[in-house]
Amino acid sequence: MYNYTIKYSCVNTYENPVFESFWQYIVTPQNNSTQELSSGVFSVSNDAVIEKSINGYNFETARIHTKKPFESLTFEAVFKLTKTKDNPLKIDPKYKIEDGYKALKELDFQVDYEAFLNTTELTTLPKEQVSLFDFDTSKSILDNLKRLNNWVHKYIVFKAGETTTETLLETVIEKKKGLSPDFTHLLCAIARVNKIPARYVSGYLHQGDGLLGDSQMCAWVEVLVPNLGWIGLDPVNNLLTDHNYIKVAHGRDYKDCEPLKQLLFSYGEKTSKCVVEVTYEQ
Amino acid sequence: MKPTNFKHLFSSYDGNENLFDEIFDKKQNVRKVYQKLFDIYNDQSIEEFINLNNKAKTSFFNQGITFQVYNEEKAQEKIFPFDLFPRIIDADEWKIIEHGVLQRCRALNAFIWDIYHDKNIIKAGLVPMELISSSANYLRQMDGLDPVGGIYNHISGTDLIKHSDGKYYVLEDNIRCPSGVSYVVYNRNALKRSLFGVFNHYDIHTVTDYSENLLEILESVKPKGVDVPTCVVITPGVYNSAYFEHSYLAKTMGIELVEGRDLVVENDFVYMKTISGLTKVDVIYRRIDDGFLDPLEFKKDSAIGVPGLFAAYKKGNVTLVNAPGTGVADDKAIYTYMPEIIKFYLGEKPILNNVHTYHCSRATDLKFVLENIHNLVVKPVDEAGGYGISIGNRLTKLEIEAVKKVILQNPRKYIAQPIMSLSVHATYIEDCQSFEQRHVDLRTFTLLGQDKEFVLKGGLTRVALKKGNLIVNSSQGGGSKDTWVLKK
Amino acid sequence: MLARIANNLFWMGRYIERAEHTARFTNVNYFSSLDAPNKLSRDRQFVLQSIYEMVGEEEENEKALIEQDVLYNAALNPEKHYSILNCITYARENANSSRDLISNDCYETINTFYHSVMNYSKEYFVTRGLHDFTSHIMHQSTILKGKIRSTMLHDEVYALIKLGINIERATQVTRVLQIKYDAAEKVTLSKPKHLKKSYEWTTLLKCVDSFDINRRVYRKAPTQSTVIEFLMLNPNSPRTVLYCLNQIQMHIAMLDPLKVHEKDTALFLIGKMKCEYKYKTVEDIQDDVKEFIAHTFSSLVELSKKLEDEYFYH
Repeated sequence: MYNYTIKYSCVNTYENPVFESFWQYIVTPQNNSTQELSSGVFSVSNDAVIEKSINGYNFETARIHTKKPFESLTFEAVFKLTKTKDNPLKIDPKYKIEDGYKALKELDFQVDYEAFLNTTELTTLPKEQVSLFDFDTSKSILDNLKRLNNWVHKYIVFKAGETTTETLLETVIEKKKGLSPDFTHLLCAIARVNKIPARYVSGYLHQGDGLLGDSQMCAWVEVLVPNLGWIGLDPVNNLLTDHNYIKVAHGRDYKDCEPLKQLLFSYGEKTSKCVVEVTYEQ
Repeated sequence: MKPTNFKHLFSSYDGNENLFDEIFDKKQNVRKVYQKLFDIYNDQSIEEFINLNNKAKTSFFNQGITFQVYNEEKAQEKIFPFDLFPRIIDADEWKIIEHGVLQRCRALNAFIWDIYHDKNIIKAGLVPMELISSSANYLRQMDGLDPVGGIYNHISGTDLIKHSDGKYYVLEDNIRCPSGVSYVVYNRNALKRSLFGVFNHYDIHTVTDYSENLLEILESVKPKGVDVPTCVVITPGVYNSAYFEHSYLAKTMGIELVEGRDLVVENDFVYMKTISGLTKVDVIYRRIDDGFLDPLEFKKDSAIGVPGLFAAYKKGNVTLVNAPGTGVADDKAIYTYMPEIIKFYLGEKPILNNVHTYHCSRATDLKFVLENIHNLVVKPVDEAGGYGISIGNRLTKLEIEAVKKVILQNPRKYIAQPIMSLSVHATYIEDCQSFEQRHVDLRTFTLLGQDKEFVLKGGLTRVALKKGNLIVNSSQGGGSKDTWVLKK
Repeated sequence: MLARIANNLFWMGRYIERAEHTARFTNVNYFSSLDAPNKLSRDRQFVLQSIYEMVGEEEENEKALIEQDVLYNAALNPEKHYSILNCITYARENANSSRDLISNDCYETINTFYHSVMNYSKEYFVTRGLHDFTSHIMHQSTILKGKIRSTMLHDEVYALIKLGINIERATQVTRVLQIKYDAAEKVTLSKPKHLKKSYEWTTLLKCVDSFDINRRVYRKAPTQSTVIEFLMLNPNSPRTVLYCLNQIQMHIAMLDPLKVHEKDTALFLIGKMKCEYKYKTVEDIQDDVKEFIAHTFSSLVELSKKLEDEYFYH
């Protein structure tokens, strides 16, 4: 059992006064089978009020609405949660490799998971690159996905400043450099081309054990393997996700889980400094 | 026998035998329901009629019953051309229409519920999943959400035409924000003022009860726990082409007409900003497209929406009418599956006909379409207002090649239908100062609420004012007629 | 009622009133200057400059003003925010946004008014149409205000429009007073004793359509002190500051009568302001008329600000 403390803080400064603004953060860790949130405390400067709500995809949001002019706003969230180790994958030896591929072809399966089977703008492979990575159907789906994870890990070099969260795969493939959202989009795209439901996960990564990750929130993939369920893959570190990965939200791509959406009535330059600290005690 | 003064109003009326004329039968005799009306009109001199026509036009303009046209250099204010010769639908014919559109609206509602829940119709293999997934109007945020009373398409506008076989066909189901109902009422008022005498000869259903029924529908879907709901109409603003209608509906329902900036969400409840503070809002009849409703949930750059609105809706604290995501069934590609949809959910046979449709997304259909463009109407699946439509027999060879190219770029985006011959109706044409045949369609308005259904007895008969033109939309130079539904 | 709509109704009233004052000021100044007794009063530049002052043209221009430009700018120039055409356009836009609240009759009047202004020929106006156009504006705005009074429920919608009309009228009367006072001073610069009986006082009264009424009240040619007393302090003539203040008080009270006891409200403020004018005498102000005009302006601005905060923005 790991007792996590996660601190997300952001200072936003504006050249000119902001008259009215709306902010929506999606930064609260999800409650699921391996993580349990015990507390989440938000604070914001300028006497602004924070409201908790649920967005269209069922993830918790923190909303702020400011009505008085300001030039700087500080937002801070502190989460405490316990994370348990994932149960090791229980692979049923009787479940045949072909059965897995057959399951993918069933109409009900394709309908139930259509959201994570169809590509989006950010998870579309350029036409000429559709067979960038080929599945070997003589091997199990899981093995292929692990291979794919490893392939993406080697294909892209982890490097900041090359891409943004909205960079299309065409550019990522050309540059072969990027951050965790790029790794995630590429893996999702290839999995979906091969009819495997894959979703973008945003969350926090505990980097104390030498894992590589973005300076703020990180992204990784969850793929649905028939007979096993959703499995987390981190192509940046070429790992299956474990107790170091704290999930916040998932979606079809980055746009569904954007940590912050905001609307501002102002003009001029702005600077935004965000810091994420992830620590745990065992 | 034609009256002796026939030459006055119908002097140059040229009845084309190949078209279905609403007033004259094949032998050029006046149909029974129109006889009295025809006699009265023919009693007038053309000068009298021109005078009436001008007065009616001025009255529309002065009342500001206008719309903006954008496709020219700058927005222009125009009146919606109105024709003083009404269209008559007799009681028996209307019964079929009314049952038919109700059946369609119920089936569509069941379909939308299914799409946002178990998707049984897709799992049964009747409607392909790709059609839904690729629809720009499919809102995944609506998955698993239960709107009050299970109603999605509270307000539907069904476009019908009468083909040369004399039967009604449905052309389109509009279930996002169908407009036009205010013109129905204003057309009736204008006609009453101009030609009050003719109303004595016919027993006609009223159309002014639309607003009270709409308000009842809105109130019927109030959120749980609300006693007397506060309903509002939300508009994108005064520059919207349908703004006149938005204000008309708010005024006649006696409720506030708000813009996005008048509303604010606090703790997942919606409030409007009034001169004495915040007032809670329970039901919103929204005339804003899905994507613009809430910039925190949909399009980030929407300046006309309300931040946090969708979360309040999801929580059940406010009802949106129509529900977000209804557009998934408004898609013209879904239209083709209507017979299956009606059978699947209602176990009934469709009362109204569907025009046969070829999907360019299907290889065999695509092949047929490309080979027969000259005999088909090609339409984009997701455009409204008559934009992007090509009518095959009006195209030159070069234009046909251009259309083919466009289809091949994105076959999913196009459907094609045989060229339907819309019925024609005597319509006053200013340039010739006489009546001529013009193509017409009919938009009906249907309301679905909790334990309540309503079909407006009447509708908007739209007229294509250009000779031979089949596109009746106001943005494409169409006009309208008052539509009389006779009592039995 | 929606705060935004309240604001629009208020401004609809203000723009209708503003258009009327601009029209009358332009008309009176132009035509009465043609045969004014004083040479400077007849001077074209002097007259055109005062029209610019009235509408608040800010552009500094070294060159001589061109008559047709000034008249066109004040009346029909769509590029000038202060033009009568724009006032009517804004008034109609505000009416559009609240057409579900105002009577059909009212809306139709404002709509036809708007179209008549939009379709008015520029060529005709600058060559021959000044009188016709400005009379048309005065006439139509009177009709419109009549429709407002006689076809609408006298509720908060009505109160807000009337509030706009009266605040604007008080402001415009004060502004005309200021401009004409300055003009009178200039005209009589060499002979300050003539200030009290300057011809400008007559023009001033005509600018606010009060010459005849003033005659009935004082029964003699207008002088500085009778004019100032009349325009500021007469409670019975419809175009005086005190009359407007009474109206403003009445209409704010219609919005929320209970607020009269709360110190920090518009209703309290207007009550206080009205009493000040009610018990003021011309002797109190005539020593420093300019100061009093400035004081009136700032009080009206403060009142508008208070209304905005209290009713229009949340």
